[in-house]
Amino acid sequence: MTALRKYSLGDIFGVGLIFAVGLFTLLLLVAPSIIVVIISFDTRAFVSFPPEGFTLRWYAEVFQQGELVEAMANSLQVGLTVTVLCILLGVPTALACARGRFKGTTALSVFVLVPHMVPGIVLGVAVLFAGALVGVSPSIWLQSISITVFILAVMVRTVQSRLVRLDPALEEAAANLRATPFQSLRTVTFPLLMPAILAGAVFTFVEGFDNLSVAIFTHGFRDRPLPVELLALVQYTSSPLVAAVSGVQIVLAIAALIAVSLSIGLDNVNE
Amino acid sequence: MMHQHPRTASKVASSVPVLRIGAVGKQFGATKVLEKCSLDVDEGEIVTLLGPSGCGKTTLLRCIAGFLDADQGDVRIDGQDMGPIPVNRRPVGVVFQSYALFPHMTVARNVAYALKMQGIRGAEADRRVAGALATVSLQDFGDRYPSQLSGGQQQRVAIARVLVMEPRVLLLDEPFNALDAKLRSSMQVELRQLIKRLGLTAIFVTHDQEEALTMSDRIAIMRAGRIEQAAPPDEIFDYPATAYVADFIGTSNFWKASAAGGTVPLPDGQRRQTEHSGDVQIMARPHNLKLAEPEAGEWRGHVQFHRTIGALIEYHVETSDGVLLQVATMRQERAAPFDDGAAVSLHIIDPTYCAVYPAS
Ligand SMILES: Nc1ncnc2c1ncn2[C@@H]1O[C@H](COP(=O)(O)OP(=O)(O)OP(=O)(O)O)[C@@H](O)[C@H]1O
Ligand SMILES: [Mg+2]
Repeated sequence: MTALRKYSLGDIFGVGLIFAVGLFTLLLLVAPSIIVVIISFDTRAFVSFPPEGFTLRWYAEVFQQGELVEAMANSLQVGLTVTVLCILLGVPTALACARGRFKGTTALSVFVLVPHMVPGIVLGVAVLFAGALVGVSPSIWLQSISITVFILAVMVRTVQSRLVRLDPALEEAAANLRATPFQSLRTVTFPLLMPAILAGAVFTFVEGFDNLSVAIFTHGFRDRPLPVELLALVQYTSSPLVAAVSGVQIVLAIAALIAVSLSIGLDNVNE
Repeated sequence: MMHQHPRTASKVASSVPVLRIGAVGKQFGATKVLEKCSLDVDEGEIVTLLGPSGCGKTTLLRCIAGFLDADQGDVRIDGQDMGPIPVNRRPVGVVFQSYALFPHMTVARNVAYALKMQGIRGAEADRRVAGALATVSLQDFGDRYPSQLSGGQQQRVAIARVLVMEPRVLLLDEPFNALDAKLRSSMQVELRQLIKRLGLTAIFVTHDQEEALTMSDRIAIMRAGRIEQAAPPDEIFDYPATAYVADFIGTSNFWKASAAGGTVPLPDGQRRQTEHSGDVQIMARPHNLKLAEPEAGEWRGHVQFHRTIGALIEYHVETSDGVLLQVATMRQERAAPFDDGAAVSLHIIDPTYCAVYPAS
């Protein structure tokens, strides 16, 4: 009681309100995923809630359907390609924006954002036409490139914000300690950027794996990615198969996040 | 000469200073930050750059280290022009204010960094790293990360890290700023002894004049991008070259006078020689003034306020023509101090220690 008296009623109300909003947000974010996972174990052959039984049948079926497995493999490939491209293009761009001494660094860092601001569908169509102009038809590669264009900003911004917070004296110290600019980049800047690059890699991988709006125009008709395959599935069936695929995706996403937060966490110990 | 190692070059021409800053100028946009800044530093000397915030101390250090290019003038080390030499090949070691230790490397790897970049590995590298760590008494800390060290220990790692490459010139930009007052004064003495023991040449930046007096063989007083005076601490204190320097170092009293015929009259009746004529200002340190009974002299005033600081008494005196002066005397000089409000006469103990400057 004495502890409570230190706070006014208004304070208690305010804190309570914040907790309530937090809890509500959490529910809002997590509830759909939980419901999807619950549905994926239902014994009935159509999507409905609450479920009536428990079976792993849908999960077994996911891995027995050739198109689904192939779509997962395609999306995995796109995710990895997008990630690699974003690292190769995004990290140097971030370095140029944050450390460049030329005029137009601000213009560059704004320009990188533009494709991300355009609605995905518009970007998808644009890439499709641009590809047609130079004779590249929709394929797993065009899809990877289009999603890279779309999500590059996230990698650039993540790395750039880390770079800006990095003490510039560290790179000066490296130079003073006989490091060439390249050695300084390799031994000081990159290791310290690693957490940001990893975080960016997770975002870009998930986008590459999961993007529908851009991919729907640019994917190859032989190698359909998972989101496109799922869309078709949802349109023509209502079996919990879709929920099971989502279940697999959720597990993958959680695994990736845990892996990264562990590795970043380990890095932070030394900072 | 060009291809000789700097060290041999300095032996050939012993009159060449280790570091020569020759009329260096630097401006950022329209603001001139350094202007005709010149300074020579001899072998084994510790020179302090002292001056108010924004006068260009850091900028000068950065020009020496090569992080900035001077717009005019040149920086020479052992006679060699540093202009065309990139940062990573200048024989200079910088201790940063933030220390800038590499957070992802252990202490030993931080210290080994410069050796590794030069391709020195194996037994020799190990020996030199161990030597540098022992020099700063951190031999048992090699496996720690910088975040696991205290501020003072981090600073010593930063010093060991540059010592390992045996620089010709050590540059330290306010190295004690991040330390608390007590650690600061013990590190000042320790660092000076270390630099002297190793015979290093160092430039050291501070805006704390006490620190400058403790650390340096010579103090260079900077003002708005120029070096106003560079001299040993006691010379700076006793014979400040300009009113600005006198005002900056220690406590000083100023009053106006008029000089003619090679001398200037002092208010207590004495005279002092001077090469100036016309309106001048005269400066006297508080300990060069003394007080006596009002009848004893013609320069009169009254005590506004006094306080005892250990063995010293500090008087704040207002003269009859309204000038405020500080007078410091030893307590044992009089049986009882003058009270606040007491009428007194002022006397200059040694006119040669009064400085005469042209009126500003
Ligand atoms: N990169 C820069 N661009 C523009 N102006 C600068 C730059 N670096 C320094 N200056 C200006 O140059 C002047 C001198 O700066 P400098 O850092 O050398 O001062 P300082 O004597 O080290 O001061 P302090 O004691 O506060 O560290 C300041 O007025 C500062 O604003
Ligand atoms: Mg400074």
